[in-house]
Amino acid sequence: MSDTPDSPPPVPDTRAGRRPKAHPLARFLVRRVLLALLMAWGITLVTFVLTNLVPGDPVAANLGQRALGDPAIVAQWRAEHGLDQPLWQQYLIHLQGLLHGDLGMSQQSHRPVSEDLAEFVPATLELAGAAILVSLVLGVAFGVVAALRRDRLSDHALRVLSLIGISVPTFWLALVAFYVFFYRLQLTPGSGRVDVALGPAPPVTGLQTVDALLAGRWDIFSSALAHLATPALVLALYTIGLLTRFTRSAVLEVLGQDYVRAARAKGLPGRVVLFRYVLRSALVPIITVAGLAFGSLLSGTVLVEAIFAWPGIGQYAYKSATTLDLPAVMGVGLVVGAVYLVINLAVDVLYGVIDPRVRLR
Amino acid sequence: MATRSQTAALLLAGALALAACGSGGASPSPSASGGSRTLVIDTSFDLKTADPGRTYEPTGLIVGKAVYETLLTFDGADVTKPVPALAESYELSEDGRTLTLKLRQGATFADGSPVTADDVVFSLTRVRDMKGTPSFLLDGVDVAKTDDSTITLTSKTANPTLPFILPNPALGIINSKLAQQHGATTDPQDKAEQYLNSSSAGSGPYQIESFNVSSQVTLKANPAYHGTKPAYDRVVIRNVEAATQKLNVSRGDSQIALNLSGDQVAGMPATLQVTKTPSANVIFLLANQDSAVSGTTTNAKFVEAVRKGVDYAGLLELAGEGSALAPGIIPSQLLGALPASQAPARDLEGAKAALAASGLGNPTVKLEYPSELTVNGLSFQPLAERIQANLKEVGITVDLQPAPVTTALDNYRNGKEEMGLWYWGPDYPDPSDYLLFLPGKTVGLRAGWKEGASKEVEESGEKAAAAIGDEARTAAYADMQNQLNAAGPFVPLLQPSQNIVTAASVTGLAYHPVWTVDIADLGVK
Repeated sequence: MSDTPDSPPPVPDTRAGRRPKAHPLARFLVRRVLLALLMAWGITLVTFVLTNLVPGDPVAANLGQRALGDPAIVAQWRAEHGLDQPLWQQYLIHLQGLLHGDLGMSQQSHRPVSEDLAEFVPATLELAGAAILVSLVLGVAFGVVAALRRDRLSDHALRVLSLIGISVPTFWLALVAFYVFFYRLQLTPGSGRVDVALGPAPPVTGLQTVDALLAGRWDIFSSALAHLATPALVLALYTIGLLTRFTRSAVLEVLGQDYVRAARAKGLPGRVVLFRYVLRSALVPIITVAGLAFGSLLSGTVLVEAIFAWPGIGQYAYKSATTLDLPAVMGVGLVVGAVYLVINLAVDVLYGVIDPRVRLR
Repeated sequence: MATRSQTAALLLAGALALAACGSGGASPSPSASGGSRTLVIDTSFDLKTADPGRTYEPTGLIVGKAVYETLLTFDGADVTKPVPALAESYELSEDGRTLTLKLRQGATFADGSPVTADDVVFSLTRVRDMKGTPSFLLDGVDVAKTDDSTITLTSKTANPTLPFILPNPALGIINSKLAQQHGATTDPQDKAEQYLNSSSAGSGPYQIESFNVSSQVTLKANPAYHGTKPAYDRVVIRNVEAATQKLNVSRGDSQIALNLSGDQVAGMPATLQVTKTPSANVIFLLANQDSAVSGTTTNAKFVEAVRKGVDYAGLLELAGEGSALAPGIIPSQLLGALPASQAPARDLEGAKAALAASGLGNPTVKLEYPSELTVNGLSFQPLAERIQANLKEVGITVDLQPAPVTTALDNYRNGKEEMGLWYWGPDYPDPSDYLLFLPGKTVGLRAGWKEGASKEVEESGEKAAAAIGDEARTAAYADMQNQLNAAGPFVPLLQPSQNIVTAASVTGLAYHPVWTVDIADLGVK
């Protein structure tokens, strides 16, 4: 970026004249989707192998102590869940099901895993989505402010805040936030996604806030939003901290560039310089970090969901893991893997959108 | 360009609005709204199913008790005498093999159809032959309808325990026509579970409104219930961590918290009611008697040293108020339990003498236990550490081997643990459940105690199993436990307290050793 003194990005393509044959974005997407499928297969293999390596017998986790003493019941249970087959065959059956869109039956809920996921994934998406929105807006804004006011009081304050956000363990923060805001200050509502007396909105998207709006129930909407606020902010604090730090250093680096000085020298308004010159160049590293951070939000939700009794895939994954519910664990693994793949894909596409010098290949 | 900065500004405003909304939306008390009474119960879920024929977990039994009715039940928390429920009377034949039950007239399922003898036969046969977790309850019991209002249950041998087994919510009577329409059969091919998880086919005071094994169960009052209408129209049972349960119930977000530990209930606000009752779970140590597993724990003097060396009073303090020491393996609520005056006490000198007499010097033993398991809020980890410290003073080095419960169960079930720390809760509130601790039986084998290993103990067990009449049974089971304590590989430690916190508005709560809480018994003040 440093060799482009006078023109702000977009920068002219240095390989002009060699026009690509197919649309580069389409080619890129096809390749990435194929790669993603390969990765998804890898995920199924790894989760299957890991879950089966764990010492412990699903039968012991699922049957009572008396029932365990009866070989007929144990055999019946194994047969019912396909555990009487050799391991490789179990895996093939699982793969075959996957190809038909069947994730298998959960041993704990006795429902298809896909139905379970359809119920729990929206709750987590709502929580993580809110956290992503808040952290993108606040993290970038804080980072820019800190960079522009470098070494002033607000910069120091924001740096301390981001340090806290990064270093405080999420589960501890969740407990403290619940204790302080719910119990002590009585500002926020308690466990769950919505007030039990109001009941959930009729399910359409599974996102409580959206469903409430669709049903025109403002009481449920405000209750859902209030229930969402604390866990989402707790979950967002880490990514806010991370984004603030990276935005600050990325913006500082760009601020020192000659073209920014030139833009200022020719009298452009500060706002234009900031948004058009500085922020656009700084976005590439910010997006890289944001993509990684959002992946980590998913692991954070397990703990946050536990404290706030939020019925999402974190709770489902924990329960599935402790009862050695193999199909459910693999279903969750697949969803989490898919989310990572989508985020990575989105980040790669965004590179090209933000910086045309980046060619999608 | 202006649009872009405007978008950014809008997004920021939106985020702040979201944050602001969060601090404005304190919820009203759930029980007060909408003219109907809602009760919120917080508990740590171990839920697997709402199909009574497959239910065997504490949370599931709470739900089952509310939705289904059984032939017999217990009056309040008294489990020493079964009383009529769907059956208006019962009679056990003199040889103890045949139990005859007269069906109550006028009982109806939620859809209005009457509860018939055919429903009873179908429900019980289904539990027995479906080979689900609770099917052992009716092992070898033949279920038959004599006439439209009479059921006979016939066992191959004397089965005086049966009246104590029938109140188990797993033996709830289902609407057989309705269930059969949704795949219910009386063999392992039964497919009704999915249906029973979403709606209810019972005659109990409540119906299932929504059911989710990992987050929440909602019950609504059954409008067609033939008995007394319950005080709460709607009951929400939520899966909540113990620490959060405490805050929820303190602030009125829930009315009942079921899983608080002794430490957690210590500083509760005075406006809440705290019930502390010894649970029916007995935590015990086992010392393996299989010489292939250990050359140390098979030494009778070693077991004596452990039994005398444990600081019971210290463990009781650790378990918290409301807990009780276990004089024998049978918990205090049940017939045949040893009196509290026989509670064990530490005898350090005696322990040291026994260890010296064992000729083992200063042995090292492995103690396995489920590391993440809590029983009534009491964790096994600190218990194991305390036992390790106690036995160190005796001269025994305990090598702690914690493992996740699913892993630890493997060694326990296969009788491979040198020493183990476990608990047993009664499958039904009758002392005969504890015959399993004898040589060659399920739990005995887990301690490597094979059939014929101890003649006296086995004989005392046979006498107890055959005894008829409360007085004779009490004496026989007491004798069996004394023999077990003298020569057995088990060291009963304590019954941890079941702590239940309720809002001041909730009345009538009593801990029940089988179904924890009967929701329909709860009142409102």
